[in-house]
Amino acid sequence: MNYVVPLLLVAVLVTGLCKRVNVYDSFVLGARKSFNLSLSVFPYLAAIFIMVNVLHASGADVWITKLLAPPFECIGIPREVVQLVLLRPFSGSGSLAILTDVYNAYGVDSYVGRCASVIMGSSETVFYVASVYFADTKVRKTGWAIPIALLCNFLGAIAACLLCRIM
Amino acid sequence: MNIVWTVVTATALAALTFIEPQSVLSVCVDSCSQAVSAALGLCGVYCLWLGIFEVAERCKLVEGLSACFHRLNKFLYGNVSQAAERYISLNLASNMLGVGNAATPSAIAAIKETERGDTLSRTGAMLFVVNATSVQLIPATVIGLRASLGSANPSDILLPNLIATAFTSVVGVALVFCAYGRAK
Repeated sequence: MNYVVPLLLVAVLVTGLCKRVNVYDSFVLGARKSFNLSLSVFPYLAAIFIMVNVLHASGADVWITKLLAPPFECIGIPREVVQLVLLRPFSGSGSLAILTDVYNAYGVDSYVGRCASVIMGSSETVFYVASVYFADTKVRKTGWAIPIALLCNFLGAIAACLLCRIM
Repeated sequence: MNIVWTVVTATALAALTFIEPQSVLSVCVDSCSQAVSAALGLCGVYCLWLGIFEVAERCKLVEGLSACFHRLNKFLYGNVSQAAERYISLNLASNMLGVGNAATPSAIAAIKETERGDTLSRTGAMLFVVNATSVQLIPATVIGLRASLGSANPSDILLPNLIATAFTSVVGVALVFCAYGRAK
């Protein structure tokens, strides 16, 4: 599995060579677009990071976690991973830190540890992705897209806890 | 997004001002610096993939990929422009390979191609949901972290993970069909 992506890179370059494409020129032409892309993404990242960090610094996230732990437990999500489920849509690095905390506190191979692993693997940083994807467009009204994605992530978390119980 | 961001940030800022006024500014400035370094990191990743994609495009490899996924794309997105379909196929392939970072530039290109107005179309919504719930064959980051912390079997989460992501993808696509109707 470690070879797939590297081999793909080689394959693209070799194909270019065989088809007599100007590989070097094309690469540079494509790569040039990356700067403007990250420039348009950047302010949205700043906004998201401010929200997440201020929320965390004010201790509000701990409060919300405590508040939501009992209802989450009713639907089968252990209270140890509630914070992970809640933070995941906002921050990839933040949820990775929480995942590490869960591993260290409860053990990597414990039920809670495996739950947290599957929750992390099967969910996505929805708000982060939304801000990046729509950064370069005029789209301001995203309609059902974000609610649907959030709901799916949440259902995925419930499924993860259920699956880890039986597998 | 406007309302959510403003309400959450304002409330949290007020709370933080009340608890620890001296840390407010440093937290905000740190967040922005964090955004700068994240954007720079992304810039590097996009640079590689956009370069490679351009080469693949010139070799007509993306055309072939697009033909492979044509039926699936037609079902999910309906009739979209040829350029958009190529980006969508590229995005799907990157997602399946688990190269999440490569999926982002192609998704952005596809969305730029399909979105003209200020309201997200069905195509854009579908693309977003597919990416947000994407089937991931190998959750490489999680497995790596498990291995480094001494798990007896780091990859024993593969199967539940695969089932969970497949489940969210199916539900996500079904919900887009419910909300927006069939593809035209």
